[in-house]
Amino acid sequence: MPIERLIDIYEELARRGRLGAGGPTLCVVAAEFIGVSGAGVAILPSGGLMTSLCTSDGVARALMDLELTVGEGPCVDACSSDVVIAEPDLDSPQAPGWVSFAPLALAAGAQAVFGVPVRIGAVRLGALSLYEQHTGSLTESQSSDAYLMASVVGRAVLAHQAGAPLGSIEHELARESPFDYAVHQAAGMVAVQGAITVGEALSRIRAHAFATEATASALAGRIVFREIVFDALSREWRETWTTTR
Amino acid sequence: MPRESLLISTLVELADNLVDHFDVIDVLTVLSDRCVEAIDVDAAGVLLASPQGDLQFIASSSESIRTLELFQIQSDEGPCVDCYRSGTAIVNRALGDAEVLWPRFAPMALAHGFRSVHCLPMRLRGRTIGTLNLFRTEQGPLSDEDAVVAQGLADVATIAIIQHRSAMDARTLNDQLSHALNSRVTIEQAKGKVSQATGCGMDAAFDRLRAHARSHNARLTDVAEAVVTGAFEPSALDLGAAERSSRA
Repeated sequence: MPIERLIDIYEELARRGRLGAGGPTLCVVAAEFIGVSGAGVAILPSGGLMTSLCTSDGVARALMDLELTVGEGPCVDACSSDVVIAEPDLDSPQAPGWVSFAPLALAAGAQAVFGVPVRIGAVRLGALSLYEQHTGSLTESQSSDAYLMASVVGRAVLAHQAGAPLGSIEHELARESPFDYAVHQAAGMVAVQGAITVGEALSRIRAHAFATEATASALAGRIVFREIVFDALSREWRETWTTTR
Repeated sequence: MPRESLLISTLVELADNLVDHFDVIDVLTVLSDRCVEAIDVDAAGVLLASPQGDLQFIASSSESIRTLELFQIQSDEGPCVDCYRSGTAIVNRALGDAEVLWPRFAPMALAHGFRSVHCLPMRLRGRTIGTLNLFRTEQGPLSDEDAVVAQGLADVATIAIIQHRSAMDARTLNDQLSHALNSRVTIEQAKGKVSQATGCGMDAAFDRLRAHARSHNARLTDVAEAVVTGAFEPSALDLGAAERSSRA
């Protein structure tokens, strides 16, 4: 029952406080929800370098710092992947790719690490990293929870970028479907209208929806019907009153 | 084309598509189109369950079906939802007397001109991963033959989902489902860009992406991703086949 699972996440996030950037709540909930020792979230600002958004504990923070320093590891790989990156045993790695990362991650206290891509279509927002203090793969239900959590993280990152007031994010997340196709079509349209990336368009749509107290879905519908456009020069939204199509 | 030749050519086309690196959305769209040609139905669509178990639209033979499928997902009501939950086929269900069963879906489907519906589960190792949904504008039952062919095509759809790109890296079923659904989102983003840049509708945008992928022997999702990331300009899409066939 996925909807109930999702509601569990939102309630837990709300109970624990806000989703502020740098705040550990999102990562603590991710780790508990998926059932792993710890978690971290790295984001990819458009055109920028991967940075840490939050970590659930000291080991997760050490692992994240390590990845950012040596430039390899599950988060780095997940950022350019579309499936979960798994290393169930850092001691005898299946794919010996992380020459610098693996021994240092072991020393930091992790035995197994996983990277879950955080992406919305072709927009890569970052990755969710998970670690375990013991060896072993994620179970099927853990991997499905990891994908669900990554979609929550993706929307939290977008809402945060869009400047959603802290405290409204959980509410926004709860009423928005990740598979609202009009929002994705609208993001493509707005990217062309404003000569911006699709990722920025997704965030602009949310920002305008917050500002006008509409849902992103309702605004997207109006964009697709060409009732409102994002102006490239003024960087503002403009209602269109023409009846021509 | 006689029915048997049509079926054979459909299976050959799908088998061709299932080798090497194929695009799951493209194959499922082909499958939906071929259902309409090979079976006595008027529209077809495929819904896929996310790793968490909620149904999502993935491919269809027409836009009106897409609307009906999305409506079922949003209202959590309808034959596809029931078929997914029970894991058993729903065949020959007349929509005219289904208002008690589906008070919101039945009137909407009737308004779209459909009179009967069939939903076939896509099953894999005891787990239902989606449904193949067939709509008819006539009320009469599907022939036994059609019912067998339809379930066969649903099985092919299942194979398409679990096979795609699996030769390249070992993936779990959750990876496959997540990848397929994310592909659909990428394609929607690309459709938006193409539609805005070239002034065409969303359907035409999809046809253009697909035609370009085919004429360049590329995967639909890869073309869509290149459009979304800006590596490829929407105006540079090869209009080729889509435009030609729509004019013919």
